[in-house]
Amino acid sequence: MQNFNTVTVFDLLIQYIKEGRIKLDKTKYADVLATYHDPCNYGRKAQKLFGYGYFEEPRWILSQCTDNWTDLYPHSINQLCCGGGGGTLTTGYNDERILYGGRKMDQIKITGAQMIVVPCHSCHGQLNNIKTEYEMEHLEVKYLWELVADCLIL
Amino acid sequence: MPDVIEPDAIEITDINHLNHQRFENWSFSQDFCVTCGLCSSTCPVSGIDNFDPRKFVRMISLGLEEQLVESRWPWICTMCAKCEKVCPMGIEIASLIRGVRSLRDREKVPGILHKGLAAAIKTGNNLGLPQDDFVFIIEDVAEEIAEEPGFEGFTAPIDKKGANLLTTIHNKLVNTHTEDLKHWWRIFHAAKEDWTVPSENWEGTNWGLFTGDDKAMKIMVGRIVENMEKLEIKTLLWPE
Ligand code: SF4
Ligand code: SF4
Repeated sequence: MQNFNTVTVFDLLIQYIKEGRIKLDKTKYADVLATYHDPCNYGRKAQKLFGYGYFEEPRWILSQCTDNWTDLYPHSINQLCCGGGGGTLTTGYNDERILYGGRKMDQIKITGAQMIVVPCHSCHGQLNNIKTEYEMEHLEVKYLWELVADCLIL
Repeated sequence: MPDVIEPDAIEITDINHLNHQRFENWSFSQDFCVTCGLCSSTCPVSGIDNFDPRKFVRMISLGLEEQLVESRWPWICTMCAKCEKVCPMGIEIASLIRGVRSLRDREKVPGILHKGLAAAIKTGNNLGLPQDDFVFIIEDVAEEIAEEPGFEGFTAPIDKKGANLLTTIHNKLVNTHTEDLKHWWRIFHAAKEDWTVPSENWEGTNWGLFTGDDKAMKIMVGRIVENMEKLEIKTLLWPE
């Protein structure tokens, strides 16, 4: 019935890296402590809906880009939502959304990370939008694929 | 003997007058709640606007869903499913929230959620961006990449028939965040991927997920499938 394949962002990046189609420079962000945020939909919700959550894959990709990263607590299936999910970035209820994100910001602050890596447009938008509210304007919010693109050896 | 309505006074309800769509997104698990409060303890927005998931589940169970439909609660919850994860009764709280969202009069869906979706159904993308403008933006950004060292001769193939991979696009990347179009494109270039972008129905977001509109979701997905088949693409990447 279906004539084509569907890949996740993770599968595709892993494929490129494993097949040697892209090479990555690990020194690029060696001085920047990074951390990773699990989007609800790729993780906990995928686990429930499809019986499989993407927890290991993004961390493996991250590890190909840098050794200098640490996990948030709690993470993976028990992570906290960034507060930007479910369309809340576009409902206009901004005070509630910013307050929601406070717990995520606390989690990040505790690790001392200078960069938060995310594979989701909503999480990226939310974290970038609220970081100044929590006096974290220096926090770099990075798409996972942006990190990979930054580390490309051409 | 209790009072019984006189046979003449009772009218037969025409079942066709009932709204059969009303509960189409409903998981019907609310009645298993043991009121333990674990969900409320773990929810990051508990307390905001007096919301908490236990209250929400109980109100549905008590038949008060009308009040919930009118309230802001289902829209400040992000449907993150943290509450569901800890619920000992396996209640599908995030689905219930989405179900309540789906019962809101479409014109009263907060913010731009429904407006964006309506534009997408009508025009193919949330912005109502015409095809010419889209193609112009894509080509313009591709030219910028081609000026970077190592990316000489870079182009973004549009509607390339038989390509290996088709990628959808998040509307914000052809609106306020065009720089963010470049990351995947740089990777495709380095990996020598045979890729393409469709010039129509490229929208990768699907706001029916948020508004509880399954019909609109299906239409949006169907268009992507159509693009895949029309262009005879082997692999779909849907980064949204
Ligand atoms: S799904 Fe909604 S109610 Fe449940 S924990 Fe997340 S924000 Fe709270
Ligand atoms: S965790 Fe489940 S059972 Fe406990 S109060 Fe919440 S919905 Fe009810």
